[in-house]
Amino acid sequence: MMNRTVVCSKCQTKIPIKGLPNQTITVGCPKCGAKGKVTLPPADTSSSVPAIQVENLRKEYDDLVAVNSISFSVPRGIVFAFLGPNGAGKTTTVEMIENIRKPSAGKIKIFGYNIESDFNKVKERLGILPQEFHSFDRLTVRETLEYFQHFFKKRTDIDSIIAAMDLGAVKNKLYRELSGGLKQRVGVGISLVNDPDIVFLDEPTTGLDPKARREVWEVIASLRDSGKTVFLTTHYMEEAEFLADYISIIHRGNIIASGTTQQLIDSYGSGNILRIHNIHNKNAKEVLENNSYVVDHSHNGDLKIKIKTNEDLPHILEILKDNGFTYDSISVKQGNLEEVFLQLTGHKLSEAQL
Amino acid sequence: MRADIIITDFKANVKTWLRSKGILFWTLAFPIILMLIFGAIFSGTDDFSYTLYTQDQDDSSYSQTLISILNQTGIFELVTIDPSVDVLDYIEEHNAKRVLQIPSGYGSQVTASLANPSVNATITYYFDQTETSTNQIARGIISDVIQNLNMQYTGAHSVIKIDDEPTVTGDFNFIDFFLPGMIGFTIMQTCIYGSIERNTKYRKDGILRKLQTMPIRRMEWIFSKMLFQLFLSFVTASVIILVGVLVWGITVHLDLYFILLVIANSLLFTGMGMVISRFVKEEETADTAGGAITFPMMFLAGTFFPLEQMPQALQSFARVLPLYYVNEGLRNAMIYLDTEQTLINTAISMGFALVFFVSGVLLTKWKED
Repeated sequence: MMNRTVVCSKCQTKIPIKGLPNQTITVGCPKCGAKGKVTLPPADTSSSVPAIQVENLRKEYDDLVAVNSISFSVPRGIVFAFLGPNGAGKTTTVEMIENIRKPSAGKIKIFGYNIESDFNKVKERLGILPQEFHSFDRLTVRETLEYFQHFFKKRTDIDSIIAAMDLGAVKNKLYRELSGGLKQRVGVGISLVNDPDIVFLDEPTTGLDPKARREVWEVIASLRDSGKTVFLTTHYMEEAEFLADYISIIHRGNIIASGTTQQLIDSYGSGNILRIHNIHNKNAKEVLENNSYVVDHSHNGDLKIKIKTNEDLPHILEILKDNGFTYDSISVKQGNLEEVFLQLTGHKLSEAQL
Repeated sequence: MRADIIITDFKANVKTWLRSKGILFWTLAFPIILMLIFGAIFSGTDDFSYTLYTQDQDDSSYSQTLISILNQTGIFELVTIDPSVDVLDYIEEHNAKRVLQIPSGYGSQVTASLANPSVNATITYYFDQTETSTNQIARGIISDVIQNLNMQYTGAHSVIKIDDEPTVTGDFNFIDFFLPGMIGFTIMQTCIYGSIERNTKYRKDGILRKLQTMPIRRMEWIFSKMLFQLFLSFVTASVIILVGVLVWGITVHLDLYFILLVIANSLLFTGMGMVISRFVKEEETADTAGGAITFPMMFLAGTFFPLEQMPQALQSFARVLPLYYVNEGLRNAMIYLDTEQTLINTAISMGFALVFFVSGVLLTKWKED
């Protein structure tokens, strides 16, 4: 028996299914009622098997449930972001997947291999940057990469890693002499010395200044472009938005939402907001509401109109023009994951209560 | 075990060591400085214990008078040896550092000397000449007592003479005692702190978590670290011996026992560091815990001063300290050439090493809770 999750093609709802390898089963979406047939993959480690599968994963510390029976699957070749505030259970989860921590319950498979019994079979295919990783102070960048590379049978050319991470200028400097951003780039470089199929990056930009963070993002984006699967944990909303193909939001040990950035914003965000600054007609709000728009006044008198479709913006501007309404300027505020998190938890991601 | 992995890790350790001025100081310069300073300061003041063993084979009024006067000085704690016992056997069995033997016929020789100044009554003083200053003091007091007796008996010539018999072969002084202790002590410090720092810092820095996910086995890593600590131990011992030989002119005997003792010392305290860092996870706290263990051993395990100068309770305590046996083993192997004592202390040190190293290996875990 194998467990899988399929996504409804109409409403994007995730639907858990169970069945035997190669079995074709009919699946009904519990949300929109759509039906379809799904054939389960064969029970092997071929490319059809997800990079990572997690089922009912749980971690307890005495009375504290750090991870509460979560399940998810990471397809190959994408950047998967595990987004949540500090202490939400991200690192505990990723360290259980990396076989650093022992789960209290649940199953983890990497390329179809159960890591509890077969972790050694996939070690060579993993590149891991632990949280707050700090390498050997008194080895140079090149020596550091060579040190970690020696443990693997499959090895990437060190010079190509140095070039990819843009570390050429500091390759002969001691690790301790590097800036925070460079150290993180070395850390990512270390995780690539074996040309891994999956790269785990646990909070890779924490503590970095915006410029250094952006540099690391570019490196991570290049990993996806090279076909690697990236498992990224972060508490930076903008990092997940910039990098992730698929996001799971974790809060207090539970996955509370999953999807692409747009799916999450569409499902849980307030949408895009058109803001009209200093509109000079008092009945503009009423006119727009009569056209079925949700309109609100901001504290300084600006109008805020929720935009649902791409056609809404030109339509609203047309209404304003037709009615002779004048205004100083307009702006559009796009929905974001911060709103999604606020909507789901009642807290801002950056200020979340644990 | 993969040799290439072990060699890679070992080479990285050596590079790191050579680039760390602080660690180089503590492993090389510090023992050299201590050797020079302690050698200069303490070469004549190594023992302040005044236990004196006496064997009265004469049992005459003269011999009893001598013993009585020695007792009245209040300086010696006298321990009586049965007259029938072979004194050299007794010294070996009881590790007696100072023995005054009054031979049979002593009384009659005193009587004869009173009449004929060419005759002397001779007593024999056996002493451990490695404990230089104690014996200087003790020998001086005994001489004073004899001198007084001579004055009482004749007021002119010497009736009683002392025949000095060193119990340890060779000509030793404090630095001979100090050098093996310095080797034992420095290896202890290097290994215990090296082990603690490695385990706590690498845990904090995520290196242990990283290694856990890589194709290196825990045992390969531990084995590599053990080799590195052995390398450091032999380098340190070599430096100390060089200083001892070149500066202080010490004659050092190096054999298999010396090698075994250095290995035992290294494994013992590397293992102890592993045990400490398992239970005390913060780097600074673990260092303090290491200090709490090594500091007493520095002073109580016969590193800088002979055990005999300490109160009996502390002497008993010293005998449960692993470093004591390492120091004693090294001393007997390198300096005194006492095969039996070397063997005993090497065996005990190896036993301690086995217990602590195996415990350390079992307790060193990469996996987090």
